[in-house]
This record gives sequence, C-alpha cells and structure tokens, in this order.
Amino acid sequence: MRKSLSILLSVTLLIVMLSACSGGNNSKNTGTAPTNTEKPSAPASQAPTEASNKTIKLEIIETGNNLPAPDKDSIKQELDKALNIDLNLTVYPSGDDYTNQLNVRMASGNFPDLFMLSRQQLLQFSKQGLLLDLTPYMDQLQKTIDFIGEETVKKGMVDGKVYAISKSPQIPYNTYWIRKDWLDTLKLDVPKTIEELAEVAEAFTKNDPDGNSKQDTFGLTGGKLSAFAPVFGAFGVGSPGNFYVKDGAVLNALYDPAMKDALAFIKQMISSGSVDPELLANTGLQHQEKSIKGQAGIVHIDWPNMTKEQFVEQIKTVNPNAEWLQIEAPVGPGGQNDSSWDIGATAGRFAIPKAIEKDPEKLQRVFDLLNYISDPDGGSLLVQFGVKDTHFTLEDGTLKMTDKAGEVGHSWLYQFTGRPEMEYLQAKFALQSESIKFANDQKRIEALNGFIDIPEGFNAADADRFIEEEIAKFVYDKRPLTEYEDFLKTLETSMNYTLLLDSAKEQLNQLGFGS
Amino acid sequence: MVKRLDDKLFDSFVYLILIICGLAAILPILYVISVSITPFGEVLRNGGFILFPREITFTAYRTLLTESNIPQAFKITIWITVIGTAVNLILTSLMAYPLSRKNLPARNFFLLMIVFTLLFSGGIIPTYLVVKSVGLLDSIWAMILPNAVWSFNVLIMKSFFEGLPEELFESARMDGAKEFRILIQIVTPLSIPVLLTVGLFYLVGHWNEFFQAIFYVTDRTLFPLQVIVRELLMQSQQPLENAENMMPTQTMQMAAVMIASVPVIVIYPFLQKHFTKGMLLGSIKG
Repeated sequence: MRKSLSILLSVTLLIVMLSACSGGNNSKNTGTAPTNTEKPSAPASQAPTEASNKTIKLEIIETGNNLPAPDKDSIKQELDKALNIDLNLTVYPSGDDYTNQLNVRMASGNFPDLFMLSRQQLLQFSKQGLLLDLTPYMDQLQKTIDFIGEETVKKGMVDGKVYAISKSPQIPYNTYWIRKDWLDTLKLDVPKTIEELAEVAEAFTKNDPDGNSKQDTFGLTGGKLSAFAPVFGAFGVGSPGNFYVKDGAVLNALYDPAMKDALAFIKQMISSGSVDPELLANTGLQHQEKSIKGQAGIVHIDWPNMTKEQFVEQIKTVNPNAEWLQIEAPVGPGGQNDSSWDIGATAGRFAIPKAIEKDPEKLQRVFDLLNYISDPDGGSLLVQFGVKDTHFTLEDGTLKMTDKAGEVGHSWLYQFTGRPEMEYLQAKFALQSESIKFANDQKRIEALNGFIDIPEGFNAADADRFIEEEIAKFVYDKRPLTEYEDFLKTLETSMNYTLLLDSAKEQLNQLGFGS
Repeated sequence: MVKRLDDKLFDSFVYLILIICGLAAILPILYVISVSITPFGEVLRNGGFILFPREITFTAYRTLLTESNIPQAFKITIWITVIGTAVNLILTSLMAYPLSRKNLPARNFFLLMIVFTLLFSGGIIPTYLVVKSVGLLDSIWAMILPNAVWSFNVLIMKSFFEGLPEELFESARMDGAKEFRILIQIVTPLSIPVLLTVGLFYLVGHWNEFFQAIFYVTDRTLFPLQVIVRELLMQSQQPLENAENMMPTQTMQMAAVMIASVPVIVIYPFLQKHFTKGMLLGSIKG
C-alpha cells in the first residue's frame, strides 16, 4: 500500500518535472551548456592514436523482448568481434517502462549511446539540444543512407536537419482471413463484396458453421475498429484519423463524404449481431485467440499471427479441420482497399545523444556499427539471419535457414536500420511466402500521418480517444448518424481539431502532397 | 443454548459471504495453477478456461527452468531478498532503537526527519542522479541500498521497543551492559514478532523488486525475476511488432507466474501468526 503510494507520488513528480522541462526549454539548455563547454578539453589531451584499438563499450536501449543472455547471444559476440566494441543492448518489453527509462536518462545526463525514440520524443529532445545533429556526418554514414534510402532519411529530419536514423520501410501484413471450412459447411462462396461479407458474417453467426448445434460463433472480429478497415477501404475512406490524398487534395478521413456511408454500413453489420460483441474491448491479440479457438469466422489480422507454425499447430489442435483462407478485400462503392497503410511511418528510429560529440572515438564506433549492420557485404546478413554456415547457408545466391535458426530468433533486435523487408521475410518465412506476397499486393489507401508533426497545443491522445468513443456510439447505434456534423463541430471546437487539420494540410502541401 | 432462527439465518448469511470471498481469492490461483500444468492445446479446446486439468504436463516448467532467463533471474531475486532483508533489518533496528530511548538528545528532530521522508521524496530523477553519482548503476546493490531503510518500518519498530518494560533496561544497565549489548542481548530476543513482521514487509518488497531494476539496471544478467516474468506476460498483450517474435503460450505465462509467486505463498503461513501480532503492535502505542 504505502509503497505503491510512494511510487504514484514519484511518478506524479516525474511528470510534473518533465512538463516543467518542456515548458522551459531555455533553462534546460543553459543547464546542459556548461557541461558541454567544460569537457572537450579532456579527451583532446589524450593521445587519440593510441586509444583507437581499445574496445569501447556501447550502450543501446530500445523496446523489444526475448533478448538472450550475452553469453548465448551469438549476434552480439559477432558484432563485438567485428567492430571491437562491447555492445550492451537493453530491451524493454513495455513501451511505458521504456519511455520512463529514456526520460530519466535524458533528464539526468546519463545518455545511452544509441536509443530508439518516437517522433514526438525526437521533436522534444532535438529542441532541447540533447540530440546530435547528424547532418554534418552524412558522409560518414553513407552506407547506412544507401541502405535505408534517401526517402527514409527524411523521416528522421526536424527542420531540415537529420537527428535520427529511421528504419528502412516495412510492408503491410494485414488482410481479412476467413474460415474456408465454415464456408464449405454452409455452402457459401468467398465474399467478394461488402454485402456478401455482411451476409457471410451473419451466416457464420446464425447458421452454426461449426456444427455443434449451439449458437456460439460470430462472424467478424479484429482489434477494435480495425476489424472494419477493409470496409472503410471499400468506401474509399481511410481509418478514422487518417490523412490521405483524394481527388488531388489532402483529406482527413473524418471529413471524407463517404465516411458517413461507411459508418452506416458498419452500423448495419453490428446491429445484425454478426460482429464480435466484445470487439471494442479486444486488446492485444485477443482477436487472434478468438479466431484460433474457433469463435470467429472472419478476422482482420496480420499473416504472422495466422500462419506461423506455432499458431497453425494451435489451430489444428482445436479443430483438425479448421482451414483459414486469406482473402482479398471486399469491393464496395468506393473501390477495393484493404485498410490504409501509412507511407510516412517508420518501424522505429534511433538517435545519438549530443553529449557523445566529446568522445569522437566512441561516436566513430556508433557510426561503424550503423554502417556495418547496413552493409550487405558486411554485417547486414548477420543481423538478419545470424552467423553464416551456422544459422544460415548461402548457396548460389539462395539463402536457407538451418535448423539452428532458432538461436537467432532475436536478430530483429539488432536491426537498428531495418532490413530489406520482402527478401528478408521470404528467406526467413519460406513457408509463409505466399501469404506475405498476398498481403503486400493488396491495394491500400496511402495514409500520410507519419509525415505530420503534431502541432503544439493539440492533444492527440485526448482527440483520438474522443474520436474512438464517438465513432463507437455511431456504429453501435447509441447516437444517430444525423448528428455526425455535430460530432465534427465538437471535435473542432473543444478538441482543437482545426489546429491539427490546418497544420497537417500545410505540412503535407509543403512535402508536395495534394498541392 | 438453543439458537434462534434469525441467529441461524444471520450465521448462514455470514458463511455465505465468507465462502464468496474465499472463492474470489482461490479461483484465480486455481485457474493459474491449472492452466500452467495443462497442455496448451487442451486449454484452447476448452475455450481458454480450465479449473481442473484433465491432462497434466510439466513441460512449461521444464522449458522455463532450462531454456529461459528465469533460473538466472531467480538467483538474483533470492540474493536480493536474502541480503537485502538482512541489510534492512540491521539498519532499521539500529535506527529504531536509539529513537525509542526517551533520553536521546534531539529525539524530536530525528523523528521529524524520519516522518518527513514518509510524506516527501525527491522523485525519480534526483534519486536516479544520486544512485548514478555513487556508482551503483548497473550493480546488484542498486536494488538493495536505495531502499535500505523504510521509514514506516522504523516507526513500527520504535513503538515496539518503547513498549518493552523500562525495568529490563535498568537491570541490564546495573549489570554493566552498554547500549549495544542491551540491543543485541536484551531487546532483539524480545522483539522476534516485530522483526518477523518488518522482515516480511521487506522480504515481500524485495521479492517483488521491479521499479529499481527497471531504472537502475541495464545488464540483463542482473534482472530480477519480476522483470523477466513481466516480459513474458507483456508480449501477448502487445500487438505484433515483429514477425519473428515468438509469443509464449498461456501455459508458459501461467507457469512463470507460479514460479514467481509460489515461494512467497509458501512462506506466508509460517509467518502469519507473528504477522498479525506484529501488525497490531504499532497501533497500541503511537
């Protein structure tokens, strides 16, 4: 009791202190400035040539999990050997823990040498002068830049300066999956349009597809409203909150004229009882669990969670006849789009603290590391597939994982600059290669949210929650759709959404979208 | 004496409530145990809910105890718990004893100093800076020393020591004992209940060590049990981040929960009688 109280108290204090920091940038800068000017003399007096072959300890922090102990981590050992470093990677499974750790370390000046951060943190820390401006070092990072591509470099920019290295682009994984055996039992065809989708979902709910004479199944599930992403797509609408270009202009999904139609259709589906009644309460992978347990017949989910051996085995233990089929997005009045895909987003970005400037040798090793793991002739294969001839073999240009590949299942934690996504997945998930291609080939609405920096004075978390709540009311028939305009008005006035809309339009126009 | 009808009604009502409370406590534990020893396929076939396993397997425990970070984390946690609790008890009693003596100079000042820390703390960042500047970061002591004394426990112990009869101290002093000897040979043997109570507070605190580990330790080999267990549990609550992420099955997760909680559950019954006694100690005399 007492302890949790004190933790609560200290967390509150932390929040107060951090907000004080972001409010008073100037005081923060003057606070760190003296340490910057004091120290450079120290390393300069040391002989740089002598020290260049000493092993340097690099500390890297990021979110992640399943990192093995250092003595079992062959990727760490190989990187250490190749670069003469002692790499100390720490991963935090929970995003909140990670944010706390990073904030504490940034505030106390105990900087890690390379760390993952969000776009929001990137803006904040770069304004506070805590991050190293990488623009002058671009030459030294050439291999990294070649690997991630010029477009991706832009994603780490703030006001024209590069403050972070973003990971190379990813590909979409999500599609609708449907129970083929249920379709066969009920003598139905794979749904091609949204009307058919609604019909099949209703049949899955009411016509007892699993043949146990109980009404214990339902049609559609997914992670909250994302279950309807392809339905939104069929109306040509992005998911609520998305920005995209339509008819040559930047548009927010909520202001898309087709949004109301999409909501009306979803409302109809929900009222027919064919949608997971706990849809909005699904967190994490609950929709996947429900699908595996045979409770739902259609799910909007990524291929790994449906096709990895671990899950296939689970599906088969529950019901040996179960067969999941990946299907194309249903067609609707607005076309055929399987959800929206944010082309501005990145799977992660890493920054280097400004303080490391004082230690050019260490900085060089950080660059070496980034270049090494990005170099196809260097360590790129190592952080993708592990050690050659141990974890994978390379014969005539085709790469094959060996049965020891399980030892380097954590290799993604070392992909600080990303990976060549398609080739990587094809090699690593040979069995799933069809599903990977299928998901990637689906037409999607190109959302642009990743390019937008949230303007000051706009609280994204509050606005998002409000949007989610109100959309839920509309689709669950708690509020008539005729009030949709009122909803937008409240959003603009009390949530300050206009600020975001204007700022987003301006930022996107500047980047050449919709102008 | 014959019980009247409404007495009986009242009694059965009380029993009913107690049974409900009891079930509310027992069912979750039973669920965790059952899932942890049932093959995962069986769990899934039953819609994820099992109270009495029909098939028993210990593979989840075997995997966790041989192939994961848990054995190492277990060692760390035991180390922190044993050494930490010892350090706690020694420091706490050394602090509480002088404060319990009425003739201590500036007693009120010292008491105020302790009570102050109950209400106010420096917050995370200053504490972090202190830990960093004394060089404790990334060491096992970072999880022991920052919380070496918990002021609330000092007050409990102080009250207990004050309750000891003054005559004992007088006679000891007459026999020539100095304060240290009094503390070790007179006070400590008489204070077993309070030592056990306070010790249990500390012990559970150390066993559940999480925040300090997250903040002060980055070396994976030093992570205590709770951090590792949380890692296992968190994975299934987050949507997919990476295709190759292996998700532990529910059976594995529950087995990890059992490994983390059984030791404390086992210790509790043995200490409980002292514990209830000790809890009341502070309340008689403030």
